[in-house]
Amino acid sequence: MPSLFDKAWSPYVAGVVIGLLQIPAFLLIETALGASSSYVTIGGLIASFVDPSILRIDYVSRHIAATGKNWWQVALVVGIAVGAFFSMKLSGAHRHPVSPIWKRALGSASPAYRYAVAFAGGFFMLLGARIADGCTSGHGLSGTAQLAVVSMVAVAAMFAGGIATAMLTMRRI
Amino acid sequence: MSLELAILTGLAMGIAFGFALEKSRVFEPGVIVGQMQLRNFLMLKIFLTAVATGAVVLAALNGFGLVKLQPKAAAYAADAVGGLVLGVGIAMAGACPGTTLAQIGAGYRDAIFTLVGGLFGAVAYSYAQPVLSGTFLGQSGSKLVLSDMIGIPYWQGALALAAIIVVVLVALERMTSWRREVGVDVDGDLAPSHRRHGAGPRAAAAAE
Repeated sequence: MPSLFDKAWSPYVAGVVIGLLQIPAFLLIETALGASSSYVTIGGLIASFVDPSILRIDYVSRHIAATGKNWWQVALVVGIAVGAFFSMKLSGAHRHPVSPIWKRALGSASPAYRYAVAFAGGFFMLLGARIADGCTSGHGLSGTAQLAVVSMVAVAAMFAGGIATAMLTMRRI
Repeated sequence: MSLELAILTGLAMGIAFGFALEKSRVFEPGVIVGQMQLRNFLMLKIFLTAVATGAVVLAALNGFGLVKLQPKAAAYAADAVGGLVLGVGIAMAGACPGTTLAQIGAGYRDAIFTLVGGLFGAVAYSYAQPVLSGTFLGQSGSKLVLSDMIGIPYWQGALALAAIIVVVLVALERMTSWRREVGVDVDGDLAPSHRRHGAGPRAAAAAE
């Protein structure tokens, strides 16, 4: 039986738990699981302190509006960090500040280099997710389960971009 | 539902999501980069299991008329271009937008930079969005749903997808067991296990 004290669950148990989260998402919030819109909500809100004119962009004001869907997703991603923290504490699977695979993948042990790559990775991730109107959760988990062809196109493109980058620009881990 | 209740619901669901992501190890850079280098299929196993479960759940909820589906706009060009850029970012970050938060919770410091980079990326897109929406990236076509194209009800199509995924998962698990793919230090890093099993000098060199 999987326990909260385990360091790892079977991917099939964990995957079922993640898939079941569609029940409260659709029934209670009337939306599908997603994560990347919350970056617009928080990023847009922070940017509005520096440049209030960003609120005149309809896309931004729509994402910042005090609606259940917008702030439900912000709470969801905050909860992900909280849940992962307690899961790690319960199992004792403490992590190094940087995963040991990066030294091999990037060919450098410099934390500053890794942080720069992580920042750039995050930038591309959200730029791409917003162009595509969804990420691994919104398109990947939710769109494909709804048999939407557009989401299958997005997922195929994600893997193509990821495989090309990891194979051509990184060393084997 | 009130805003407060929606936030509490999100927090509760997020904690469950975070537990599942941490236990599954799919938030590990070793699992993500290993998947993208096609040497570790743990990410695909978790992802496909979650898709199949979601499909069964939605087949029931939608089939019994309890919920409406929530399909996204059919912006095929935007999804192909955006998906590619997103994929590049996933490989560089060793994370997805959601699992970045799981990395922060589990103690990966570089994930904080991924998060800040992500916020910058979302803001950069926001500034560009009014312009981009007038280009080919703002075009959307008709919403194509596989079950409609075949001419069957959604619930039948969703159950068929789940059945196909189960077959794929059985094949993937036969190729390599998930316990091996999780790795010795549960981070998807398969190199230390090579060393432990006394593999040849080549594997040991690759592990360095």
